[in-house]
Amino acid sequence: MLIALLILTAVAFAALALRARRLLTSTLWLAGVSAVVSVVFYLLGARQVAVIELSIGAGLVTVLFVFAISVAGEEAMGARPLLPGVLAWALSILAIGLLGWFVRSLAMPAPPSAEPAFSAMLWGQRGLDVLVQVILIFAGVLGLLGLLAEAKAPLEKSVAEAIMAERDRDLAAMQQRAHDIHREKEIV
Amino acid sequence: MCLIIGLPWLGALIVWLVGDGHPRLQHALATAFSVGGGIAALALLPFTSFEPALRLSMGGVFGDFTLVPDGLGVFLAAVAAVIGCLAVIFSTDYMHGEAQLGRYYAFVLLFIGAMAGLVLTGSLLILFIFWEITALCSYALIAFHNDDPKAVAGGIKALIVTGLGGVGLLAGALIAFAYLGSYDINTFLAEAGSLPALALSVIAFGFLAGAAAKSAQVPFQTWLPDAMEAPTPVSALIHAATMVNAGVYLLARFYPAFEAVPGWTTTVLVVGLLSSLLAAIMALVSTDLKRTLAYSTISQLGYMVAAIGAGAVFASQFHLLSHAVFKALLFLGAGAVIHAVGTRDMRQMGGLGPQMPFVRAVFVIGAWALAGLPIANGFFSKELVLEGALGHAPAWAYWGMVIGAGLTAFYTLRMVSMVFYGEPRGATHAHDAPAAMRVSLAVLAAGTLVSWLLVGLFDDFLGGSLPFHEIEAVTTPGVIGEVFTAPATYLALAVIAAGLLLALLRGPLVGLGRALGPLARFADVGLGFEHLNRGLINLTTGTASALRGAQTGVISWNMVGILGGLVILLAILVRGA
Amino acid sequence: MSLSSPLTIAWLGMVALAGVAFYGLLAVRNLIKLVIVLQILVKAALLGLVLAGATSGQVNLGQSLAATVIVADTVVAVIGLALAVQIKRRLGTLDVRDLSNLRG
Repeated sequence: MLIALLILTAVAFAALALRARRLLTSTLWLAGVSAVVSVVFYLLGARQVAVIELSIGAGLVTVLFVFAISVAGEEAMGARPLLPGVLAWALSILAIGLLGWFVRSLAMPAPPSAEPAFSAMLWGQRGLDVLVQVILIFAGVLGLLGLLAEAKAPLEKSVAEAIMAERDRDLAAMQQRAHDIHREKEIV
Repeated sequence: MCLIIGLPWLGALIVWLVGDGHPRLQHALATAFSVGGGIAALALLPFTSFEPALRLSMGGVFGDFTLVPDGLGVFLAAVAAVIGCLAVIFSTDYMHGEAQLGRYYAFVLLFIGAMAGLVLTGSLLILFIFWEITALCSYALIAFHNDDPKAVAGGIKALIVTGLGGVGLLAGALIAFAYLGSYDINTFLAEAGSLPALALSVIAFGFLAGAAAKSAQVPFQTWLPDAMEAPTPVSALIHAATMVNAGVYLLARFYPAFEAVPGWTTTVLVVGLLSSLLAAIMALVSTDLKRTLAYSTISQLGYMVAAIGAGAVFASQFHLLSHAVFKALLFLGAGAVIHAVGTRDMRQMGGLGPQMPFVRAVFVIGAWALAGLPIANGFFSKELVLEGALGHAPAWAYWGMVIGAGLTAFYTLRMVSMVFYGEPRGATHAHDAPAAMRVSLAVLAAGTLVSWLLVGLFDDFLGGSLPFHEIEAVTTPGVIGEVFTAPATYLALAVIAAGLLLALLRGPLVGLGRALGPLARFADVGLGFEHLNRGLINLTTGTASALRGAQTGVISWNMVGILGGLVILLAILVRGA
Repeated sequence: MSLSSPLTIAWLGMVALAGVAFYGLLAVRNLIKLVIVLQILVKAALLGLVLAGATSGQVNLGQSLAATVIVADTVVAVIGLALAVQIKRRLGTLDVRDLSNLRG
């Protein structure tokens, strides 16, 4: 019962995250969803992944978002959504309906006799997954470099033109001076 | 064994990352990795076996990722890796001074690895994936000079035609999976008899379509001559020695499963025969050196395909080995000539013999083998093919092949004399091949002269590790004896001699040639097939252009598409539940 | 599964969470908010995985899969945010309607 209640809380938080005006508020509601979901994990008996989800979802990802939002800045969006509202609602409800029906008709397999411990399972049966995770993390690091990179903005056109004009003037001045010196020499 | 695939792929990544600022380093690294791959492949030869050497489970849906080092696979992987390594050595001189070497070497090494994977894998699905990777590399390398519209057009044509063939392969694989529940090739071969006849026929012809498209057989043969826009080492590697062999490999490996399908072997025989004769005719009138070699490739592949149709699987694979070696030799030799003279047009060559003695010598050795003259490996393998046809195939097929052999001799001598003998028609003075090119050419020439000695060993490989194929046991001395004593051999030699004679007497026969003028023009447009293929390509590109309107660029519409797809998927699942 | 057992409500709750995320995917205009919505969707998926593990008794299998998904989804968040930041710097806006450079 508690589990069901918590999940509904999570749904509520998610809806609030969607409706929030400011991005920072959205991020905080997302952190809330993460926390609630990790408690649900714990209550379902998945202790290790509850800890992982809490620290990464409610911790790392939230910090990441705050960082990105501070770099990118808030922006006021137009109020009207892009797609016709009917289409969005219809498609979502259709998807939920089908998903719900699908979930209702699931048949669960019989539990195995004895299950290995979490770490044994992770490194043993799902070993290939761990290999893939390493590659993913590598990709993520490369992505992070993109997040932190300074953009080399092209020189604004007016600034570039000003520099060119100044250079032309200097060149003309030098040529004039050379011409004058030459004239002086001739006269002398 | 993973090294055969892994080393070239690792090399591809590293050469690309080194960047185009260090061309000498790129040349050196590419050579090192390809040689490594070649050595790994050769080292694998003593270890052929029937059982998979590597089995990684990819979950219930996709089956296992297996690598099975059986005789056929290891042999072809060795061919791919060794000729690949020779082509890379050749490229260090041919591509000297070219831009974007990173892209070139990366794709060549990627291709070598993918080809090795294609022949070594034991899973139909992985076979398809490697198949498509080789098609992608082929496209990228044909269109390497991507500021040349002819090259780009050639690349796209190759991609579309071989891609359509790949659809046949995929369809066959999926149907097999639907019935047998597994992608494993050996399982398929064992239980092919248990499939319903219609399903097996569909699979058989689907695979045939895929193989025909990949190996440039009728009616898919027009992409190969246009693919000659690629740099010559690429032509030697991909379009003579390896990728086009993938189709023949497919047919050879699945022959035990499909030989019982009514009409299949006959279709294979007809396709092979038509291709070889058609291509030989087109080679007679071609004036572009590389195109002539392309036509001769199609023709020789036709021989191999027809041999499989006649049931002589061993002969076809032996001819594949010989052909890979001498065709690579011919292409690399042609590359040396083109590099020196600057043009591919044979009418502007001539009299190059005295100027390029080394290249002339190796080219003549290759041509000797192509024409099927004694001592070179082409002679032995061609005779085995002809004998197989005599034994198992209807008489018209045998006579067709013999005529083909005669035509082959004719156009080969024509090509050699136009390029190396006679009065110099071109204006440029040509220099002989530089050192790196000579290395590859010399190794291949040596191979051409001696590779037939391996026939006994080769037969042991195949016979020992392919439980589903019936391979007659032969030994090297046995083959030599057989070939020299069979009357069929002398018949074939007589026809070849006739072809050579006709070529020598070309001058006086010019009047006859003029009478055949219209035929020549018809042959120039590929006997009508060109129109068919062009229509196909226009259809594909037209549809692609029309669909561009659906890409609005706004992400919300893309989301609609994704969600819509999810809804459809769920509907299907719910329906099935 | 029976309609009123707590686990069924949990499953339906997961579907509802996914539903919120589906609607968000279609209706959100700010790119960073879109990444937030993606995160919500992935949390729903994680919930599904762990629920499946719990209802079938294979909790540790569910956990192992969920751990992999968390790693993957964090990487997705990192790259998505990196993209959003770079887009804001070069194109000046995060509004989805104005970002149609991939048109055609």
